[in-house]
Amino acid sequence: MSVIELRSVSKWFGSVVAVSDVSFSIDRGVTALLGPNGAGKSTVLRMLCGLTRPSDGSVRVLGGDPATDPALARRIGIVPQQEGLFDKLTAVEFVTLAGTLQGLDDPGAAARRALEVVELDHADTRAVGGYSKGMRQRVKVAQALVHDPDVVFLDEPLTGLDPRQRKHMIELFGRLGDEGRCVLVSSHVLDEVERFGSRILVIVQGRLAAEGDFHAIRDLMDDRPHRIRVETDRPRQLAAGLLAEGVALGVRLDGPQAVLVDTVDAAAFRHAVGPVAVATGARLLAVAPLDDDLDSVFRYLVGR
Amino acid sequence: MTAPTGTDVDRGFRAPIGRSWLAIYRLQLRLLVTWGRLVTMLGLGALAVIIGAALGSGGRGTGTENATELVALYGLLLLLPVASLVFASSALGDPREDGTLVYLWMRPLPRWVTALASWAAALTITLPITVVPLTLAAALAGAPSDLVVATALATGVGAVAYTAVFGALGLRTRRSLLWGLLYLFIWEGFVANASDQAAQLAILAYTQSLLSAASGQPLDLAVVVAPWSWIVPLLVAAVALVYTVHRLRVQEVP
Amino acid sequence: MTAAARIHDRGYSRYTDERTGTGGAVRSLYRQTLQQALGFRRSVWQKILPFLSIVLAYLPAIAFVGMAAFANTQPRVAAQVQELLPTYAEYYGFVYAAILVFVAFVAPELLCADRRTGMLGLYLASPLTRGTYLLARGAGTLTLLLLVTLGPPLLMLVANTLNGTGPTSIGEFLTTLGQVLVSGVVIGAFYGALSLAVASLTTRRAFATVGIVFILFGSSVLTQLLIRRARFSQDLFLANLLLLPLELVFRIFGESGHINRTASEAQTLPLALAWAGWTGGCALLVWLRYRRLEVTR
Repeated sequence: MSVIELRSVSKWFGSVVAVSDVSFSIDRGVTALLGPNGAGKSTVLRMLCGLTRPSDGSVRVLGGDPATDPALARRIGIVPQQEGLFDKLTAVEFVTLAGTLQGLDDPGAAARRALEVVELDHADTRAVGGYSKGMRQRVKVAQALVHDPDVVFLDEPLTGLDPRQRKHMIELFGRLGDEGRCVLVSSHVLDEVERFGSRILVIVQGRLAAEGDFHAIRDLMDDRPHRIRVETDRPRQLAAGLLAEGVALGVRLDGPQAVLVDTVDAAAFRHAVGPVAVATGARLLAVAPLDDDLDSVFRYLVGR
Repeated sequence: MTAPTGTDVDRGFRAPIGRSWLAIYRLQLRLLVTWGRLVTMLGLGALAVIIGAALGSGGRGTGTENATELVALYGLLLLLPVASLVFASSALGDPREDGTLVYLWMRPLPRWVTALASWAAALTITLPITVVPLTLAAALAGAPSDLVVATALATGVGAVAYTAVFGALGLRTRRSLLWGLLYLFIWEGFVANASDQAAQLAILAYTQSLLSAASGQPLDLAVVVAPWSWIVPLLVAAVALVYTVHRLRVQEVP
Repeated sequence: MTAAARIHDRGYSRYTDERTGTGGAVRSLYRQTLQQALGFRRSVWQKILPFLSIVLAYLPAIAFVGMAAFANTQPRVAAQVQELLPTYAEYYGFVYAAILVFVAFVAPELLCADRRTGMLGLYLASPLTRGTYLLARGAGTLTLLLLVTLGPPLLMLVANTLNGTGPTSIGEFLTTLGQVLVSGVVIGAFYGALSLAVASLTTRRAFATVGIVFILFGSSVLTQLLIRRARFSQDLFLANLLLLPLELVFRIFGESGHINRTASEAQTLPLALAWAGWTGGCALLVWLRYRRLEVTR
């Protein structure tokens, strides 16, 4: 059984359908939940945490229903999207409270450890009400990790963090995944999501648009050619050879030493490009896919 | 951090109830007591004491009459319900409003722990800032000892009921203060005067009945006899708390 | 790029229609004030409270008109029924709770949220100044309050006149109409100014609401206690902010009764001056508060 399972889940608010017939399952490791603003990412995360119930379908986390089984909370950590914290408490008080309510034997020590993980000073006597946005975000992450949860849900956790903190946080998510936890991160900062790992869920207009490894998703997009840039000393000859070989849909010279190739079968192209270069006497200087990144996949799925 | 085994937590795990209850109770006390609220409410309590002293030193009627009118009008009609409304509706209403309720909700705890601890915190603040000044005011206004005791009892019983009802209201609706005021001024202040049956649906009728029974002074809504005058408010509080727990179970958490 | 090439700026189009200036901005904010307070274009829950208050304010008027019409057709019980019906001034005693709920939520809804959310800065970036902003909000508040202070007695007057149970001559009708209009404005302006003053002091709607209620009821309870029980002078009634405008209405209609027996010795002129003082003082407080307010744009 997967750690997380959604089966035919829909959620509507009055006449507005926020999530429509979404099914997926997730195992341990880091998975990114992507989608444009208003796509339904937060609603999916809120249903996974039990904060809101699905209008239809079923949600299972670790085999239980998070909306009706408070005991599940012991194994789930959540970083909600909203900024509100108990502003009068210090960071260590806030995280210790989380540890106490999670039933830890020594919540104070666990809180100090969790704050160290997010690079916050547990001896800071300031109340969190006076913290910057980035610091508040890290307090939220610390309270979600204080009880060593098996499953961690993070709703836009990189918001407000500076580049160094983002890098640190992304490394932390990766570490949590490597330790065998199930980590689901929603984000719209694609270049950073790309660094979490390659497993993604894409939600568009409340529906699941794609799931899995985004490179594999890219390969499935066979109605859209891959564009590859090949640097060579004989671009014209190489282009003609690739067309004659039948692995290129179209070619275009890109300056005196490069050719842009459109192909529907990237694997066949990879196999053919070497022999064609040899046959045409062209020296290959570089071969790079131009639209194989997450941003390209995402734009394709959202714009479809 | 250590990697989880995934089997170290039994299904049905509960955090220790007592420790969790205390943690939420202490948190709520800190969140509810702001300087603005406290100074305002203490000031209004002090006003009752000053008027009590003024009535005691040169009042027109007997001590019983003066104290009864002071406690009934200023205390039971105004200070007690408004103080209860301000603190109790904020206890779960503010966390719901600013999105921090999730930090209490997403824990392996029975919902009644959160409900009861929040209500207890609101009551802990409301009781001293209403019972103490009103009891003192009654004594200074010349009330005999049994009326002083009845003042403390009526205020205390009323605080228990009002805080539970307004606590549930705070969780239920975003505009709890307005709905609370609507109840106080339309129902208790107006409709309840229309008939004894309507009065029995007003907490004010029970607090006034407790006061009236001790003072022998007639009050508009004093239509309930003992022991119902103190049993019913406690039952109302219990029902309101059960409703709060129910709402915490089924309500969407922002 | 060729000479014929052109990039179309589709993201921004210049406003070319007529500009309505300050007057248009004031009218627009005034209209928005009414819609916001009445919960237009908002959820059902936002509409319930204002409409409940309005219904509660009108319900007795409708009932009394019905009773008067019934009495008109039953000469045998007409005298007894007429005895039960309140005068115009007494009517406010039936509906002041509904009026006060309206008072307690309208001004905080209008002023507090604008300062708390930064909307005030956006308003002041338009042709509105602090003065015209307050003018639109104040006029809106007064209009809303007139809905519950002026509407019900006006309804009674018109219905009773048509029914043959009201004024018997045009002169009498016009006199009563004038009294009804002045009374509605007296109550609306007084409570409106007071509630705007309290709302100008805090950015939290809830605090403003509780503050308004406590000031009105607290001043009433305290002055009554001090007059009745502690032998204070009846002049203290002028500090009874709940009942002062309602007592003034008795004087406007020239009725013999009083809203409360602690008002029986108050003279009409000091009452009117106290009304003007409180109303003007509160309006001045609002103006001073906004004049000095730091607004982030």
